[in-house]
Amino acid sequence: MNCESVSKLVPLYFYGELPPEEEDRLEQHLDTCASCARQAESQRALSVALDRRAKQPTAALLAECRHDLMRTIYRQEASIPRGADFSPRGTSFPHRFAAWLPSLGTWRMPLGASALLALGFVAARLTTPGGAGSFNLATLTPDVISSIRSVQPAHDGSQPGEVQIVLDETRRRVVSGQLNDSNIQRLMLAAAHDENNPGVRWASVDLLKSHSDSSPVRELLLNRVVEDPNTGVRLKALDGLKAYTADPEVRKVLALVLMRDESPGVRIAAVDALTAHADDDMVGFLQSVVQKEDNNTYVRRRCVKALQDMNASVGTF
Amino acid sequence: MAQDAPGAVGARLSPKLDEASLIRAVQRGDQDAFEQLVRAYDQSVLRLAVNLLRSQEDARDVFQEAFLRVFRSIDSFRFDCSFHTWLYRIVTNICLDYLRKRKVRKEEPAVVETPEGPLDRMNDFEEDAPHADPERNMRNVQLGQRIDGALGGLTPRERMVFELRHYQGLRLRNIGEILGTSEEAAKNCLFRATQKMRAVLGDFQ
Repeated sequence: MNCESVSKLVPLYFYGELPPEEEDRLEQHLDTCASCARQAESQRALSVALDRRAKQPTAALLAECRHDLMRTIYRQEASIPRGADFSPRGTSFPHRFAAWLPSLGTWRMPLGASALLALGFVAARLTTPGGAGSFNLATLTPDVISSIRSVQPAHDGSQPGEVQIVLDETRRRVVSGQLNDSNIQRLMLAAAHDENNPGVRWASVDLLKSHSDSSPVRELLLNRVVEDPNTGVRLKALDGLKAYTADPEVRKVLALVLMRDESPGVRIAAVDALTAHADDDMVGFLQSVVQKEDNNTYVRRRCVKALQDMNASVGTF
Repeated sequence: MAQDAPGAVGARLSPKLDEASLIRAVQRGDQDAFEQLVRAYDQSVLRLAVNLLRSQEDARDVFQEAFLRVFRSIDSFRFDCSFHTWLYRIVTNICLDYLRKRKVRKEEPAVVETPEGPLDRMNDFEEDAPHADPERNMRNVQLGQRIDGALGGLTPRERMVFELRHYQGLRLRNIGEILGTSEEAAKNCLFRATQKMRAVLGDFQ
């Protein structure tokens, strides 16, 4: 073994990638060759320096990544249109969700696009003269919000130095009416899906939940309690569903929330809502939640208490 | 002297299910099994992305993209290789794409100049606040700059091999399998990477 070959082998030796016999020969060489021994030492020093630069992702970053991933998958599952082949995987993983909720209606449909359309349609009706219908349309000081779309030299024939500025203007109007008015309700339903404004969603759900006897409102609440990214909105929607905990469809959605929502507060509200209605079928489900629920002791305790109140055992045998 | 990182990469599976059963459960559509599978590997995947890309945002994107690909294509996993190898093929492909794109648009340095002095963006990854001793902080920043310079001089493939061997503790045979190359090619890559880095960092003790 000569110095040139040793030079090539030092990194492999350092990383333990040499066969034992070659490693022995190299070590014998290092014992007798100061120059090669310095190379090995240099390799070690490099490793120490690089080790100092090694980074461990923080627990917070890992938790965020896990949360984002499961939320993306969860949303994909939740937005499978009925009967649609969601993924190349056919009936397997994403469809488990659909299979789990066999009787749910249109609340699972992706509503973002249709909400925008609805908003546009209703707003057009509201602001078209003569289309205001039964409610009062009031225009306060036209509150115009402008943004510049483009700036360019004016077209031929204009004065030198003339420019053309294109503005997009959004005109603010105030619309008022009764919540039981179907047009107002449609506008509110659309607002409850405004993905850019959780405050508007929260306020819309809060106002609409008092009308949860209306089928579109119930569907909205079922949709928001699962899909809304904002915990406050999900809690409001869940609050609106409390009067319907005897409804099997509502119970299935609440069970899903209890299993899947990342917020302990929402899960606790789901336990409370589910256990408010006596149902022996809940025993097995709550037992499985108790087994799974290791993230939040309080949720687990709520489930245990609910089982005890039902005179059921906590564990499964 | 031989360095290895025992358990640096690897599954942290609960004893409830062995990996093959877990994968089959995922293929049958068991979401809990998928979550368990993700949690077995996600820490090492994120560590690889963080160390390789030196950007929290990019590491997050790689994490998400990799596990979504796993989610979408787990049915095509036929147990021809270990799940770890299959997963790391996905992760390393995504990371290599990121590294190659960066080479084109010139990589952002981890250490940036600010009005308050040099700032090491990698400190974002630390659980603790940056060190209070300014002298030590400066030394660390200098070291960071030199190491970034050395790592930046590697080709994406050399960097990947080095990362997988040095920081992730994988064997070269396994690295070759992940990257679709031979053990010998992985050895050569590691040799070139260490030579280049010693040329830049050799006098740093």
